[in-house]
Amino acid sequence: MKTTSSLGGSLLLILTLSGCGGDSIRPLHSLNSRLADSAETRRDPSLGQGWLASLSSRGGRERLELIDLRNGQPVPVPVPGLNRADAQPISLSVSGDGERLALVRQLGDSTELMLYRRSVGILQRLELNPAGVPRAVSLDGRGRQLAVQVSRNGRWEVDLIQLP
Amino acid sequence: MWPIHAVRGTALAAITCLNVSAALLALTGCTPRVERIPGGEVERSQQEPALSGNGRLLATVTERRGRPTVQLRDLRSGAVLPLRHLSRHQPHSSPSLSWNGRYLAVITQRGQRRLALIEDRLTGRAHPIRLPGDREPVRLSLSPDARTMALQVAVQGRWRVELIDLGAILEPDRSAGERFSGPLQPTP
Repeated sequence: MKTTSSLGGSLLLILTLSGCGGDSIRPLHSLNSRLADSAETRRDPSLGQGWLASLSSRGGRERLELIDLRNGQPVPVPVPGLNRADAQPISLSVSGDGERLALVRQLGDSTELMLYRRSVGILQRLELNPAGVPRAVSLDGRGRQLAVQVSRNGRWEVDLIQLP
Repeated sequence: MWPIHAVRGTALAAITCLNVSAALLALTGCTPRVERIPGGEVERSQQEPALSGNGRLLATVTERRGRPTVQLRDLRSGAVLPLRHLSRHQPHSSPSLSWNGRYLAVITQRGQRRLALIEDRLTGRAHPIRLPGDREPVRLSLSPDARTMALQVAVQGRWRVELIDLGAILEPDRSAGERFSGPLQPTP
């Protein structure tokens, strides 16, 4: 009996270990190939509920792109006023409903934290207080709270910002 | 200016309002409230913040014994929450949380290879995510309901974003009383 349970334990252990090979995930092949065809490179994904924000490049220029995935097809949606030719996007995050986008961008010597509200097409700068250099950003699902990694006095900190 | 009440000697730090920012968002007439998250007893450097969909949990990457390690914090209590599978396989990077924070996805290191791992905080299970062709992810993002994950990978020297359906391995993590659109369907 003891041998049996020991054997069973070993078998279970082996099965458990072999189960570490990876769970059965399903790549969304059609979406993925259309995403690959639509840009030379694409990086920094941020998923909402049926929305994908990412930095895509065409012709060497990188821009923040918001894609509607809700119908199983990647449909880029207009984001007027979000991208500008002389700015380099660094980090981004989209709210769950795709309505708000947070962005860190480099513009000349300045690194800026921005908030974009799609329904009104308005991009606003969020000031950091105390001052610091933003790097990585995350919005919550409703786009009402923002966490941002900030460099201050040679150290990385995280600020939380409540948004109206 | 309001004080931070930090509990020294433990990793706990209650968070209260620290700063009220200067006038911003003039269009709405409201001012965003800014809080700084204490790094705990040694003021650790914190990077790569990721909020849960409901805004109650915050994952960051901090240095632990010199190794970048993901840390999960309850923003209401300030408590650092235990993670069963994420005390090793460093360096960790690119954390991402589902709506209620049931799932925490992060990129880990196994030997010389990077591997995406999802910890289910409800069941304690770990779900390693292996991509076809053994591609290595460098960044990831989990959808709020945890049905879909986006991974940044290199293919023939170019960055690409690939989407995977997690519906076969994870229960959805949805907000209470909120309706989501249906899951993305894989195509043949």
